[in-house]
Amino acid sequence: NNSSQLSSLPLQILLYVNGIYYIFYFLATLAMIIYKSQVFSYPDEFLAPDLAVLFLMAILEVPRLYLGFKGNLTEAEAPLGLSLGLTVGSVVLCVYLLLWQTYVLWADVLLNAVLLSAYGLESGLKVTAIAAFVS
Amino acid sequence: PAETRDAAQARVRSLPAPVTDVARLCVCDLLVAQCDVNCCCDPDCSAEDFSLFTTCSVPVVIGDRRLCSQKAAVYSLDVEANPPERIFKLIDQVNPSIFCIHATNYKQALYLKSPEIPTPENFDQLLDKFGGATFSAEPDSWNLDTDVQNPPEANETSRYEYGVPVQTEDAFLRLPSPVVSSWCSDANPAGFLVNQATKCIRSVSVEKCDSIQALSMLFYINSSILASVFQVNITVQSIAVQSLNGMRTLLSRSEVLRLPMVLDELCINAVLGVNYHITHTDTGEIIEAAAAFVLGAISKEELSIEQSFEISFTQENTQPVPLSGNPGYVVGLPVRAGFQPQGYPFPAAFSACFTCSGPSSQTLSSMDIYEIHLSNKHSQLTILQSTSTQDCLAAQGARAPVLFGYNMISGCKLRITAAVKCQPLAQTLLDVLKGQSFPEYVASFGNSQAQDVLDWVPITQLHISEQMTSHTLQSSCQIPVSLGIEVKWTKYGSLVNPQARIVNVTATITTTTLKQLPSGRERIIPITSSVVFTDISSPAEPSYKAWPTINIKLPFDFFYPFV
Repeated sequence: NNSSQLSSLPLQILLYVNGIYYIFYFLATLAMIIYKSQVFSYPDEFLAPDLAVLFLMAILEVPRLYLGFKGNLTEAEAPLGLSLGLTVGSVVLCVYLLLWQTYVLWADVLLNAVLLSAYGLESGLKVTAIAAFVS
Repeated sequence: PAETRDAAQARVRSLPAPVTDVARLCVCDLLVAQCDVNCCCDPDCSAEDFSLFTTCSVPVVIGDRRLCSQKAAVYSLDVEANPPERIFKLIDQVNPSIFCIHATNYKQALYLKSPEIPTPENFDQLLDKFGGATFSAEPDSWNLDTDVQNPPEANETSRYEYGVPVQTEDAFLRLPSPVVSSWCSDANPAGFLVNQATKCIRSVSVEKCDSIQALSMLFYINSSILASVFQVNITVQSIAVQSLNGMRTLLSRSEVLRLPMVLDELCINAVLGVNYHITHTDTGEIIEAAAAFVLGAISKEELSIEQSFEISFTQENTQPVPLSGNPGYVVGLPVRAGFQPQGYPFPAAFSACFTCSGPSSQTLSSMDIYEIHLSNKHSQLTILQSTSTQDCLAAQGARAPVLFGYNMISGCKLRITAAVKCQPLAQTLLDVLKGQSFPEYVASFGNSQAQDVLDWVPITQLHISEQMTSHTLQSSCQIPVSLGIEVKWTKYGSLVNPQARIVNVTATITTTTLKQLPSGRERIIPITSSVVFTDISSPAEPSYKAWPTINIKLPFDFFYPFV
């Protein structure tokens, strides 16, 4: 590692890939919810929370990724810390979609597992980056 | 006792739990404690039974196939072994699709909904929801639709459509009719433009006859019909009084309302029949309503009477003429007939219609001196109708209409004694056979108009006398014994839709000699009348359209500069 540059390259790569993957994840999950509502019996009172969680996660993802990029590139720990906090929220929502959705299809399990592992790896790298910036 | 009853009620309140173990489920096990044929999952079958099976009707018992991984019971027959035996395997069925259901958090997703058990608390709500003739899976949307429909209906009493009940002030115009049994039900509404005739039985008693509403005229005319902006009152068109022996007389003043009352152990002025005539415009608005009544007397012994009701709709300024086909006769409809008016031989001045005066459908006594106008809209060819007494002289003029295509034969028995005079007897028999007014012309098409003279076929009358012995003189008495009407018809029109057209009608009266009987003896002679329809259509010749000719001609100046 170049000691003059504190920004974490793996974190940057991961954040970039996460952004692209999240777009695919959002569209795929939305399509699958629409498919489930047509094929299975999906009453409105069960459909509404699932859609709400998905959209909330999308709304959270944008500032999370932006703050992550900004924090890592400007080597500032505050945005990165905020991003970490938002990641915790995203993880909770992802776990909901993985375990407590009305219908959990095998494709859901795969997508959410990949997203969770990305979040986990990101969190570890963010912590390391914050430690590097602070010290 | 109280606890066991509560416990029993608690047991009844919940349905038995559904079986979800695939090893114990068997769809083909229909007979209890007996082996079902070819049902490999039936627990009542023994190894010997399995050896007789040919195939397994239910090879796999499985839950929802879309689950990613679940248990499945697989049944198969091993036909190689001797004797054949059933193989039962419990396997884990895996759905390889990526969209298989891994888990659900929604309990009812994969199972049918258990119905609610009615309890005293929820009974009313369940009755509201499911008590009607139909119910919808989405009760909310159902209510929404009826709300939208209600407001327009309130304005629609002005215009009636076919079949819509005719509304009156209190409810609907009633046409009592037999429902299920022959007893009168007053809840049958009359439908607009639906001509109906009903007969039903009403139970009566002479003592209470003035309190039975359905016997009084008021019951049928008191509420007025709702039509456009005003109400149409039902007027009394005519009143006919029927005496106990069946004779009817038409009253000259029909404005007076006659209510039932008890007189000399009879209940008089009881309604025996009502005939409604409703006049409407061509846009469906009712403008007039009239009712013709038949009142009669009820004697003390009668516990029930038969009432007949009829309703007919006429468009204003038109004369309804029932057609028997359009244009060809329809099998089963009456053959239309009529008379030519007096003074015919001036065809230029001929404009009056053939008088429509065939015998009416009411039964007439032969001594009846008043004419009944109540249902005089039929102009039909009729033949004698056989009665239960089979006595020609007491026939009372019952006639049956001749229906196109239906060959009919009827008759009666004539008892001759020595004292019978020949000439009056011959005349009476002729009346019995031909009826009061035997028509002269028959319509050749079912929709022939009275103004088209050429569309009507004259009835040819023939007389045949049966000569029993050669020495019978012409001057001796001949009495008619049979009337045979032969209607010759043909198929007319196109090959694919032939129309029936009457071409020739011949009425043959056969007479026989009446031999003088020694006094004290009597003879019974059968009198018959018959109608026969004969198809004289010539075989159809198909005619084909000419081949289209190609007509190519150049304009004459086509090669202009050169020609």
